[in-house]
Amino acid sequence: MEQAIVLAASAIGAGLAMIAGLGPGIGEGYCGGKAVEAVGRQPEASGAITKQMIIGDALAETTGLYSLIIALLLMYANPFIGKL
Amino acid sequence: MPNGYIGLLAEEARSFTVDGPLKSITFDFLGKEWIVSESVVVQWVVMLVLAIFFFVLGRNLKVVPTTRRQMIAEYIVGTFTGQVDDSMGPRYKAYRPYIGALFCFIFLSCIMGIFGLRNPTSDVSVTGAWAIITFVLVFYTKIKTGGVKGFLKSYVEPAPFMLPFNIIGDFANPVAQALRLFGNNVSGMVIGGLVYFALGGIAGGLASIGIPAVLSLYFDLFSAFIQSYIFVTLTMAYVSMAETD
Repeated sequence: MEQAIVLAASAIGAGLAMIAGLGPGIGEGYCGGKAVEAVGRQPEASGAITKQMIIGDALAETTGLYSLIIALLLMYANPFIGKL
Repeated sequence: MPNGYIGLLAEEARSFTVDGPLKSITFDFLGKEWIVSESVVVQWVVMLVLAIFFFVLGRNLKVVPTTRRQMIAEYIVGTFTGQVDDSMGPRYKAYRPYIGALFCFIFLSCIMGIFGLRNPTSDVSVTGAWAIITFVLVFYTKIKTGGVKGFLKSYVEPAPFMLPFNIIGDFANPVAQALRLFGNNVSGMVIGGLVYFALGGIAGGLASIGIPAVLSLYFDLFSAFIQSYIFVTLTMAYVSMAETD
């Protein structure tokens, strides 16, 4: 019974952790939109802008990946089961 | 995957991931048992493929290219040379071969899932090792450009109270870099496995033919290319930003 509760809570927690995917989505979309604007204004600088955009995207993505790691931990290497 | 506790949930989830035909190798040496993990064995395959490919490309080069083989080789080298020169400047000429090799290695490692092998990049110790190389290169560049004094001084700039933040920043970069590559590949692998699992129940498994190929195209090819490009770009950015004077 206790195990079932912990497993169910872990599954729900893994799902809830992925709500953090919202943040990178908004951030990267904003980043991409601004990059398109910048290329529209200055097409000759598109190479440099793309590089900056990808670095910005990669940094914005980090929080989402941390939440993914937590979800994976809850699914594959659950730390709470051992405490029962 | 971490070999922690394997619960009921984990048993179910484990069947979603891809288990390739290559297995880990166990051997006895100096009275101890050594284990070479599957991701290392797959990386040997990647190294072999890259070595043979570039050996064949680089043979019998002429000053004026006449064969298509040499055109391809020159295109590859020219692309990486241009990338490194754009991002780091011509002072970092020595990084051209490293960046090129790193990109090819990461890209081929990421697309190993297409050939039915397990991605080495879905093992956090592999991506961690690559990130540690970048970490060492950053420190090397700092000490080389500024000397030990400049290296130490870069931690109290722009103000002394920034010291803890600078130190945390130095250690957070490789962690984030390793987890980024790992997270992207593992998420692709898990989602692909889940889709196979779900489609396997429809029409007696017939639905799982063809449809996952679209997902595989995105996760294995597109995502692999973008992620290896990001890893390489971040390596170049971190190294060239580490310059102290």
